[in-house]
Amino acid sequence: MSDGISGPIRRSASVRRLVAIGVTLIVLLSPFLWLLQMSFKSNDLILQFPPPLIFTPTLQNYASLWQGAFPVSFVNSLMSASFSTALALVLGVPAAYALSRWAGRGKHAVSFAILVTRMAPPIAFTIPFFLFYRWIGLLDTVTGLVLVYTSFNLPLVIWMMQPFFETVPPSLEEAALVDGASTRVVFLQIVLPMVTPGIAATAILCFLYAWNDFFFALILTRTNARTAPVAVVNFMNYEGWEWGKIAAGGSLVMAPVLIFSLAVRRYLVSGLTAGAVKG
Amino acid sequence: MSGKGLVDAERRRFNAIALAPSLIVLFMIAGLPAIYLVVTSLTPFQLVNPGSSTDFSSPLRNYRLLPDDPRFVNSLWVQAKLSFWGVLFQVLLGMLLALLLHTQSRVVEFARTFFLIPMVLPPIVVAIIWKLIYTPDISPLYYVAGLLNIAMPSLTSSVDFALTAIIIADTWEWLPFTFLMVLAALQTIPDEFSEAALVDGANRLQVFFYITLPFITPILVISGMFRLIDSVKAFPLVFLLTGGGPGSVTEVTNYYAYLLAFDFNEIGYSSAVTIVMLLLVVAVSLGVVWMGRRREAMA
Repeated sequence: MSDGISGPIRRSASVRRLVAIGVTLIVLLSPFLWLLQMSFKSNDLILQFPPPLIFTPTLQNYASLWQGAFPVSFVNSLMSASFSTALALVLGVPAAYALSRWAGRGKHAVSFAILVTRMAPPIAFTIPFFLFYRWIGLLDTVTGLVLVYTSFNLPLVIWMMQPFFETVPPSLEEAALVDGASTRVVFLQIVLPMVTPGIAATAILCFLYAWNDFFFALILTRTNARTAPVAVVNFMNYEGWEWGKIAAGGSLVMAPVLIFSLAVRRYLVSGLTAGAVKG
Repeated sequence: MSGKGLVDAERRRFNAIALAPSLIVLFMIAGLPAIYLVVTSLTPFQLVNPGSSTDFSSPLRNYRLLPDDPRFVNSLWVQAKLSFWGVLFQVLLGMLLALLLHTQSRVVEFARTFFLIPMVLPPIVVAIIWKLIYTPDISPLYYVAGLLNIAMPSLTSSVDFALTAIIIADTWEWLPFTFLMVLAALQTIPDEFSEAALVDGANRLQVFFYITLPFITPILVISGMFRLIDSVKAFPLVFLLTGGGPGSVTEVTNYYAYLLAFDFNEIGYSSAVTIVMLLLVVAVSLGVVWMGRRREAMA
């Protein structure tokens, strides 16, 4: 395989191309790297002009985060993202399997109805959820966040898992059914183990979508269930702007994302396009 | 009943049991809220005003107000500008990046992963990163401009530049998406075409315009549509960088709806704004699905 531009003559990357790629990468990533290096600077250094590129890194920003309420919000983020991922998988994986094996009419209608719930902009969900939570007392709770995150993670699971189930050869299932196994046993003992990598990738994407949420947490939480993204933004409101804390908090919020997305980068496109709007 | 009939019946029962919980939960956490949103949009609902949530005396009042609300009309224009320029830059730059990185080399394949970083970062972290860049005291951008003796205006508080500042940040964030989609499309182009063309004496530019481009046009369109639907999600950028200002230069519809509901307490009116926005998004989404189907049918 070669590309249209460099053609068949040069199959490996030329030096010129490598240099261009390197320069582009540095330009593209420099905003991100700027935040990262700032998280290791003391506040004096951050405000120093010209900005020193070589400095003795300090962990004082991270230490000061540890002393405040930030760890609690980090745990809130972890819990709401994990629980909503688990809930979406438990409900969505069997549903995806059923849809992938459903030959009858109505399959497209059901699939599309599920997708529509993912296309809606978040604000469409926040107003009803806010009113409802106010009424039943779910405002500012992790449970409330889990439910709202499930509204976009469940459709993601159902859409992402179907192609994985379609890769399982039907002959395998038929053989087991003929031998007298029930559909439930076939699903649990034959099909499910074969799609484990798909489940892992889907789980990570669900986790990331919930973890990355800012909008729902901004409106549906106050202090008890405040998540890490909202907590970081709060450093911008009180006592001036604490840039060191903002940089350190931002770096911590993006750490799990960077690790996990490396693990599932092959599935990123399907995960992102399965829910074009929400997340 | 034959054995196959029994298996089919059991299969149907299993499918029903496997699907039902998801459908019920989805209806409760997505269907009901949607219905409730429509209901509140028909009322003059304000949280401070008891009874307003069940006042259906003039159900279409909110919708009648919309066309004459300059902030609403303005927000649609702002969103249109943000979407148009954002999608345009993301598709063009994503394509260039994909062409640059579409080559067989272990180093390049390894490097591709790092180009995805902006897209996977939490949107609020992206907003923080650009807040740094746009804040004169600490921004490397302003430092470099100072070195070069360029007078840099404040980007986020200037009427002329605020929306551009958001478009730049949005483009940075979502460029990897279009890049990834175009790269996937490039990898499906068979070698033979460009090889034959090159043997026949075509130059690289001709190969690009007559072979590569027609091949990737569908994916350019589809990824552009995806980004178009997605562009209403620029909320964290607007929230953190400009707060919709200066004035309402960067006030997109999503942000206006947020202000209406959670700052101005106009729940009913905000619901109506949201519904109109929702209808626009669904219309575009249907277009994407339809084009996807057509593409599948062609393949």
